[in-house]
Amino acid sequence: NCDDGEIVIKFSHVTAAQGHPKGEAAALLAERVNDKMNGKACMEVYPNSQLFNDNKVLEAMLLGDVQMAAPSLSKFEKYTKKFRIFDLPFLFDNIEAVNRFQGSEGGQKLLHSMESKGLLGLGYWHNGMKQLSANKPLLMPEDAKGLKFRIQTSDVLQAQFEALGANPQKLAFSEVYGALQTGVVDGQENTWSNIYTKKFFEVQDGVTESDHGVLDYLVVTSAEWWNGLPDDVRSELKTIFDEVTDERNQMSRKINLANRQKVIDAGGTVRELDADQRAAWKKAMEPVWAKFEGDIGTDLLEAAKASNASN
Amino acid sequence: MSAVILFALVIALLTIGVPIAVSLGLSSLVILLVFSNDSLASIAGKLFESMEHYTLLAIPFFILASAFMSTGGVAKRIIRFAIAVVGHMRGGLAIAGVFACMLFAALSGSSPATVVAIGSIVIAGMRQVGYTRDFAAGVICNAGTLGILIPPSIVMVVYAAATDVSVGRMFLAGVIPGLIAGGMLMVGIYVAARVKGLPAEDWKGWREILVSAADAFWGLMLIVIILGGIYGGVFTPTEAAAVAAVYAFLIANFVYRDMGPLKNVAWRKDGEGLLTAVLRNIAAIVIGFVPACVHPETKRTLLEAGRLTIMLMFIIANALILKHVLTTEQVPQAIAGAMLDFGFSWWTFLIAVNLLLLVGGQFMEPSGLIVIVAPLVFPIAIQLGVDPIHLGIIMVVNMEIGMITPPVGLNLFVTSGVAGMPVMAVVRAALPWLGILAIFLVLVTYVPWISTYLPTSLMGPEMITTH
Amino acid sequence: MTVTTFANVIARYVFNDNLLWALELTTYLFAWLVIFGASYAVKMTAHLGVDAVALRFSRKTQRILALIAVAACIAYAGMMLYGAWEYWSKFFYKLAFLEVEDVPFPHWIQTLFGLVEDGEPRYERLPRYIPYFILPFGLTLILFRFLQIAVGIFKGDLTMIIASHEAEELVDEARAAHDDTGASGSSPSQGAGR
Ligand code: NA
Ligand code: NA
Repeated sequence: NCDDGEIVIKFSHVTAAQGHPKGEAAALLAERVNDKMNGKACMEVYPNSQLFNDNKVLEAMLLGDVQMAAPSLSKFEKYTKKFRIFDLPFLFDNIEAVNRFQGSEGGQKLLHSMESKGLLGLGYWHNGMKQLSANKPLLMPEDAKGLKFRIQTSDVLQAQFEALGANPQKLAFSEVYGALQTGVVDGQENTWSNIYTKKFFEVQDGVTESDHGVLDYLVVTSAEWWNGLPDDVRSELKTIFDEVTDERNQMSRKINLANRQKVIDAGGTVRELDADQRAAWKKAMEPVWAKFEGDIGTDLLEAAKASNASN
Repeated sequence: MSAVILFALVIALLTIGVPIAVSLGLSSLVILLVFSNDSLASIAGKLFESMEHYTLLAIPFFILASAFMSTGGVAKRIIRFAIAVVGHMRGGLAIAGVFACMLFAALSGSSPATVVAIGSIVIAGMRQVGYTRDFAAGVICNAGTLGILIPPSIVMVVYAAATDVSVGRMFLAGVIPGLIAGGMLMVGIYVAARVKGLPAEDWKGWREILVSAADAFWGLMLIVIILGGIYGGVFTPTEAAAVAAVYAFLIANFVYRDMGPLKNVAWRKDGEGLLTAVLRNIAAIVIGFVPACVHPETKRTLLEAGRLTIMLMFIIANALILKHVLTTEQVPQAIAGAMLDFGFSWWTFLIAVNLLLLVGGQFMEPSGLIVIVAPLVFPIAIQLGVDPIHLGIIMVVNMEIGMITPPVGLNLFVTSGVAGMPVMAVVRAALPWLGILAIFLVLVTYVPWISTYLPTSLMGPEMITTH
Repeated sequence: MTVTTFANVIARYVFNDNLLWALELTTYLFAWLVIFGASYAVKMTAHLGVDAVALRFSRKTQRILALIAVAACIAYAGMMLYGAWEYWSKFFYKLAFLEVEDVPFPHWIQTLFGLVEDGEPRYERLPRYIPYFILPFGLTLILFRFLQIAVGIFKGDLTMIIASHEAEELVDEARAAHDDTGASGSSPSQGAGR
């Protein structure tokens, strides 16, 4: 618990404290802050939606009741539509491209895009690349036609599945397993970590390794609170935060690969796509980009495309 | 420290006659102002947020369904069926009373509702054939508690909402315990009937079973709609509750015609031709639909259900505020740590949970109690390897016992009214059967299989990791 | 009135269960019903509590306890109202851009309230301060009702804030049903949803 005189930093998130990329990153951040900034600042982490769920946490932050949170990027719809860029299918070839984009000038500018509304991004935390699964094999985009896919609340993801001729259904994450099992929905998209830890593969025909999109979190804080911190505290916090972010983001790839293997070991089917198949999926989904270009801005979109070329 | 003050405040306020909801809310506010830097604004926000909770939305719908099903007619038909099946045994009418309570429990999410619906008919019937009033009241008072154990159950909805487990799983988990508890009561009655030489009804034959089953069919279909709907993937529990409410309204108004514009209008009048009857009924239902929606009896039912919903939800919303304060103050973690340091194992922990709930159940309203206790013990249970569904069933059984123990025991009050006897007399009458429930509690606590078998085999193992 | 809304909600909900906004609207109406209804329940002294202890004391002590209890209720409602006002005004002034998830905000209503500039409506969906308005409004009513009760207790017209055994009403109805078993005119009733 915090001592008197320390600046209290409440970090609220919705995942388990252990075994999940976000939960582990938050725990590591708290450990470092409480160790290195003892006497100056103190971080309390509230996992598992104990304090607030993802829909409420940003409001609570603006009311001053929590100082840090890490909602998935699609939760920032109401503050800026620019973050829709991360939901676009097949925009990034792999997680390295995502890294390059986030580190670029455009990606860093995005962190400040909500300051007028009171929120400040500190950095991006990866969950990983998304894979597709359904109750039948998905090898070509036509296979998805007519199927019901669970999505998070996001207009981009809705458009993505509509482009396939599929039927997107918004559903809370906690209800997905049951919905897949009883056939309320036929399929879903998620990272290997989520597919393994929530055992979605058990109730699906198989998982197609599509890497078609990214599932990331934005670590966010209240601009008012952050700018009101003493300069030394703020810079020390930011340094610790950046270290933790680098370390954990590198880990997230390993965690996802390990979970992919665990799915196979547990008897799940994993289907890889050959180059032609992948191209077909990309072609089917790409029209979605144009639809949201206005919200995102052409410059940013071009910067994202450029991040695929490693140099 | 803050936790001790918090609970002392709640109890003090309750004692002097402050409403439960306000006691919970005010104590939380005081703790917040003294110990924490959260704003009052965030607490007001929580009040709203708890009512946006999608799972809790099932509560008004289950209350409404139950209200339409309690119109006497459904209960009468269920009782007739129950008597046809088990009435011929020694102590048959009492056993049939338990059976009828079990069936009604499968339609209704509430215990007192079960007592009112079944008790108001069966207790009088039992006295007519020579049972003592104490015996009749004691049996029904106990069997009525099955209303929250056999799905659907409002208390289970509240538990699921407070701990984020699946409502569907909780409902499934209640089936086997409900059957066992009902069975144990029946066996107890049969033994008592042998000893005391209680009467048996005449065996009315298989035909009566079929005819009465057909008559009760539309009411019992609700079980199929609720459970089948949820597990068949047709709808979520909240949607199932809404569908149940509408179905119950239609059945009460147009099939059984216990209420509304077609009340006492026969399906087929004497000497009426089949075709005429069919056409007349279709016309009556079509013409009667709008009048039924605005009929005074419908309005009264809606008003009554609304009143219950408001009272219950206001308590739950304030209990959720208290839960929020407990979380902010990290009270569950502190208690968990202390318990683990103390060397609690899962089975000693469950003893502690049972004691806590039994004591709490003497004073508190079940839904509010669960909202407060569940987040307190849930994390500890998980750490000790107790299945969350199993924990939920243990809590529900404790709530059942709380409902038939003074001073706050709604089933006692209701039975006292239905049987026309003083509350203390009901307490004494219920006592011997309370023993059976106590044995059942021990059984449920230490045989997790009873609770977890159905949900695990039908829905896979429970997982507690989120996102 | 509440009742009609409630019935409408159910109908709309059941027949349009694919419409997400209907679902969200239902949860908001539910919140409105409960917060608004809570004040009505105060008026009817229908809130549930424990009366077993208070009833053991003399009438005079009971009166003092009731006055303390109602003071506690007023403190609760007052603090909640303060918080609710803070909360709502933040959403109204500072966070007015925040919208709900799904419920649309029809163009013509926005025109009506002058929220349309150059033919462009300001909102796609309902701004959050609209559903949240029930908080300050409802708590004002609750506070008002508790003040009324305080006057009643002070004058000696009332002895308690809570329902003396909420079951009494149920019991009366049960008796009525019991007296003419069957399709009697008694209102269908049940316990407080336990
Ligand atoms: Na039930
Ligand atoms: Na009790």
